[in-house]
Amino acid sequence: MNTRTVDPVTVEIIRNALSAAAEDMNASLIRSAYTPIIYEGGDCVVALLDDQHQVLGQSAGLPIFLGNLETCTIATEEMFGRECWQPGDVWILNDSYLGGTHLNDVTIFGPVFVDETLVGFTASRAHWIDVGSKDPGGSMDSVSIFQEGLRLGPQKLVEGGQKVAALIDTIGRNVRFPYPTTGDMNAMIACIEMGQQRLAEITQRFGLSALRQARDDIFAQTEQLEREVIAGIPDGVYTAEGFLDNDGITLEEPIPVRLTITVAGDSIDFDVRDSADQAVGPVNCGYAQTVSALRVGYKLLVSPDVPGNGGSFRPMTVQVREGSVFGAVAPAACQWYFSHLGLLIDMVARALAPAMPEQVAAASHGDSMIVMLAGADPRVDRDYVSLEATLGGWGAWQGSDGESALINNVNGSLKDLPIEVFEARFPFRISDYGMRPDSAGPGRWRGGVGVVREYEALTDCTISLWFERAVTPPWGLEGGGEGVGPEVIINPGREDERRMLKCNGLRLRKGDVVRCLTSGGGGYGDPAERDRALVQADIDAGIVTTEHAREAYAFIGPVM
Amino acid sequence: MGQHRVSMDIGGTFTDVISYDEQSGEYRAGKSSTTPQDLTEGVFTALSSLVSEVEDISFLVHGTTQGLNAFLTRRGERVLLLATEGARDQLHIARGPRWKLYDLHYRKPEPLVPLSDIVGIPGRMTFEGEELRPLDEDAVRAAAQRAREEDIRAIAVGYLFSFRHPQHELRTREILREELGDEVTISLSHEAAREWREYERTSSATVEAYTGPVIRRYLSKLEQSLDDKGLAVPLHVMQSSGGILTVDSARERPLQTLLSGPVGGAMGGVALADLLGRQNLICVDMGGTSFDVSLVVNGVPDTSPETTIEGLPLLMPVVNIHTVGAGGGSIAWLESGGLRVGPQSAGANPGPACYGRGGVEPTVTDANLVLGRVDPKWFAGGQMDLDVEAARTAVGALGEQLGLSVEEMAEGICDVANAKMAQAIRTITVARGIEPREFTLVAFGGAGPMHGVFLAEELGIKEVIVPRFPGAFSAWGMLQSSIRSDQSEAFFYRDEDLEPQVMADRLRALGAEVSDFLAHEGVAPKDTVLQFAVDVRYVAQEYTITVPLNDAEEPTTPQFLGGLSERFAKMHDERYGHSNLGAPIELVTLRVTGLGDLGRAQPATQPQQSGALPADRADVVFSGARQSSALLRRSQLGSGASLASPAVVLEETATTVVPPGFTITVDPIGNLILTTEDNS
Repeated sequence: MNTRTVDPVTVEIIRNALSAAAEDMNASLIRSAYTPIIYEGGDCVVALLDDQHQVLGQSAGLPIFLGNLETCTIATEEMFGRECWQPGDVWILNDSYLGGTHLNDVTIFGPVFVDETLVGFTASRAHWIDVGSKDPGGSMDSVSIFQEGLRLGPQKLVEGGQKVAALIDTIGRNVRFPYPTTGDMNAMIACIEMGQQRLAEITQRFGLSALRQARDDIFAQTEQLEREVIAGIPDGVYTAEGFLDNDGITLEEPIPVRLTITVAGDSIDFDVRDSADQAVGPVNCGYAQTVSALRVGYKLLVSPDVPGNGGSFRPMTVQVREGSVFGAVAPAACQWYFSHLGLLIDMVARALAPAMPEQVAAASHGDSMIVMLAGADPRVDRDYVSLEATLGGWGAWQGSDGESALINNVNGSLKDLPIEVFEARFPFRISDYGMRPDSAGPGRWRGGVGVVREYEALTDCTISLWFERAVTPPWGLEGGGEGVGPEVIINPGREDERRMLKCNGLRLRKGDVVRCLTSGGGGYGDPAERDRALVQADIDAGIVTTEHAREAYAFIGPVM
Repeated sequence: MGQHRVSMDIGGTFTDVISYDEQSGEYRAGKSSTTPQDLTEGVFTALSSLVSEVEDISFLVHGTTQGLNAFLTRRGERVLLLATEGARDQLHIARGPRWKLYDLHYRKPEPLVPLSDIVGIPGRMTFEGEELRPLDEDAVRAAAQRAREEDIRAIAVGYLFSFRHPQHELRTREILREELGDEVTISLSHEAAREWREYERTSSATVEAYTGPVIRRYLSKLEQSLDDKGLAVPLHVMQSSGGILTVDSARERPLQTLLSGPVGGAMGGVALADLLGRQNLICVDMGGTSFDVSLVVNGVPDTSPETTIEGLPLLMPVVNIHTVGAGGGSIAWLESGGLRVGPQSAGANPGPACYGRGGVEPTVTDANLVLGRVDPKWFAGGQMDLDVEAARTAVGALGEQLGLSVEEMAEGICDVANAKMAQAIRTITVARGIEPREFTLVAFGGAGPMHGVFLAEELGIKEVIVPRFPGAFSAWGMLQSSIRSDQSEAFFYRDEDLEPQVMADRLRALGAEVSDFLAHEGVAPKDTVLQFAVDVRYVAQEYTITVPLNDAEEPTTPQFLGGLSERFAKMHDERYGHSNLGAPIELVTLRVTGLGDLGRAQPATQPQQSGALPADRADVVFSGARQSSALLRRSQLGSGASLASPAVVLEETATTVVPPGFTITVDPIGNLILTTEDNS
């Protein structure tokens, strides 16, 4: 036991300084990035690590990026030895099996030295718009990592303060949009250098031993907070099972995702080894990203308001089987790595529902529900590509209906495209966009409703779709019903009406109509117990029909 | 004609009034408790301490939080919303983002109008102006019928593409007027904001319909009371944009006044920048429960063409005010053995322990009191006595749990609060590519001067200014504002498709609207300045940058697009740290701002310091030790006075605390200038 060298006031000032430094790095990256996916979509994360690869502070734009940057510095050290870290160096890595996500997610990181002592690392990860995959930006039907683009193991991007020109040249030759990609890379290098400077300043201001003592106190506080919550969960084994509809290649074959959670005292174990073998299609991910997803599921229930650090997640262990969809090995395709992870995050709450009825919620629509349209706009004689995620309903919980028309968990704070912007920019009419009545899972608290979004093509074009969760629609809890699953109908009511949830480059003719309907969220509690006035209010709002009210709630009219 | 220029700032707790004597050049400040049941009462109490007769007033400007309070407490008018059928639910879809990432129980900001009060009206225009489907007038009449039956007296209308083709909205208003008469409030989305994005535009119209009646009633009552007392000049009202307008116009466009409350401080910062020749200021306004930060960059306020209020978007120009979750009321507490300060606040009720209103948890104000940094008899201009023992008890109890003495605990609470506030300021500036070290910090509000110097130390800032009447600085700022009118219009062109003549024509038309408005406000043409600008972005970006134009004719000049691209690239580089000269750009919105100069209140030179400074001392805790510090009344400091810290400067509206290492001087117009050399 060390003698105390640092008082609680200094500990708190250091704690705030570390998380503010991460916020500043994130603000700098977002400010300097070239492509909208980073500076508008926030598809990035930064972290400050200590010399033992523990998180001192981090800031994420997307939940799915929570806490796995340290795997990159650890992997590098394992490959090249501790002596590989030298002042003035910055490293790069994007291999899916090391970083865990798709090749588009590039991690850039560097050591921090103060007076020739290695005191820590700073790291950033951001989504690059293209890394040279077989289709621009990434494919929905890749079957091997070798179709997905440039794959980099850990290597130096900056050496002794000098950029490694040959590597930068190689990257430029392998991506479709070298200009903005180089811009994003430079923004990430600048962010790493800002972090190096901030961490060095903090170390110098307080001294390394005070910093380390404060770190131990901060981690201990976080760990204690989380252990207190877990100790409150009854010991036991909790399980959940769900299915991805398919891997995008073999459409009739669902992919099982199985989760077993074991709570013992103040520790918790997550086991996904019974899930499917790695798939042919691109719905695989590396071990690191599975850990991230489970951390998101854990954080949602255990510590939603606590900034993450090296004390976070200490009570948690993870079991993954190599060669499964959650522990993919070469050459598994990983481009669409987040669909089964989104399902896994939802299943944490499903498994723990009996133990934490107040904290959990029923399931949401669950996936991005992608509509990609491409063609030429005759009004301006230019090609266009539109890629949209579609909103859906979220699950109800004890005491409240779920929220309607919300972006899925994995996409963070992404906004839909206004009709006025969409029609000005692309040759389509959005003939209907609104709440999808009767889509919510009924319950004492009902789910949120999904949406209807209908496109009419004003010229010939192509469409690609990635809609999910038909096999496992949003489930209810405690007697609540499940939400109505997704549907996409092409030319509804016409002779050539067709239904599908996934397709790649399907041709549409002028006048064709595509009607997309997303799931509502699951309900919570017995629908028979729902307040009659709330049923009537939903009818007045137009999100529940009288027929549905009768069937789902046995509602025959307002109670006078 | 009178000789007093007067401004009134009605806050939640106090009403501040500043008067400026145009003959002597002297400023005076007055204060009274805000009287919520009848605000005019508090106004006249404060006013009477400065001006004997209302008819002596030569110019009167007013900032109000009436509309904002109605919004925040959800006590506005019930609104019926008419929206395009097929896009009826947009106000509740709200574009679907989640602003909290780890929240299974996420709820969107509650819309002002429930779905059951939103009516889909058939009728559809296209972007190009084709009428795909005519307006269903019977549906509008049916909605009017419903409003009559249910006694709904405010109606908002938000149709697709009305920002380009408003005929359906205009026809809807005609029908509603025919059916419902002139008393009902009608807010059309294209008039509330002539910009694209149906959700944001409709939200603006809805907020206007919801708060407008409250603002109108209040302004009419205030104007009536002032007229009865003999006010001979028009009442002016502060806008969220930092400009002012006459009360008649404010009633027409009440939305513009909604966020005017804290803007006065930012405009005061602009005036100070001008007076003192400092181009870059960080303005810190700290009150009992709030902490607002605004920036003056290159002499102009940092503004945005749109904002949000409790998550609901508003398309109107605003001065950016960053509210940071700290203030005197922030509570210190323990979490798993670690010290935390905030974000919970004791608010005004029960307030800090020292207020003696039942608060028992230690707050930042309690800590300041324990440290001797607040004079218990002088708090809030002596209008409230503070209980030192209650503060010591609350702070001491927390200190005991951490093994710290009362003073150590108190200083620790302040140190943590200051570090957090400083970090919040740094993140705001980093996101804008600004280096705070190169800025001057202006501290005002009741608690700003108590913390400003500590914030400067954390940020590496070498100069802090505490203006005269720091507690009433917002009111002072209002006296420095111009009449302002903003007009905007969606104008969507990719660079290679631009029709320069059309752009010039539209700019000229907007300019004429703005000029007419300013003339109507009583501004002579010679005092009118028009500023033209266009919002630009790179193709595929969402965010835009407002790029100034020389005049309305500039688009027709040769090389216009090349010059515009260069200007845009330069501004993009300043804002985002890079640019992409040569990449295709899009023009999105045309903007015209008109400023009407009504004359300024030039501050008089303050009397020179004569004789030695008073020698009063008091023990104040800095860096863990009680240090003998100069204790001064601000009224004892003449211009040119100079002394070394540590010091505490008392005045009616605030207390300035200066830790060791600073030089305090008084400039010719009475500002306290605090400087340090050894701040790196």
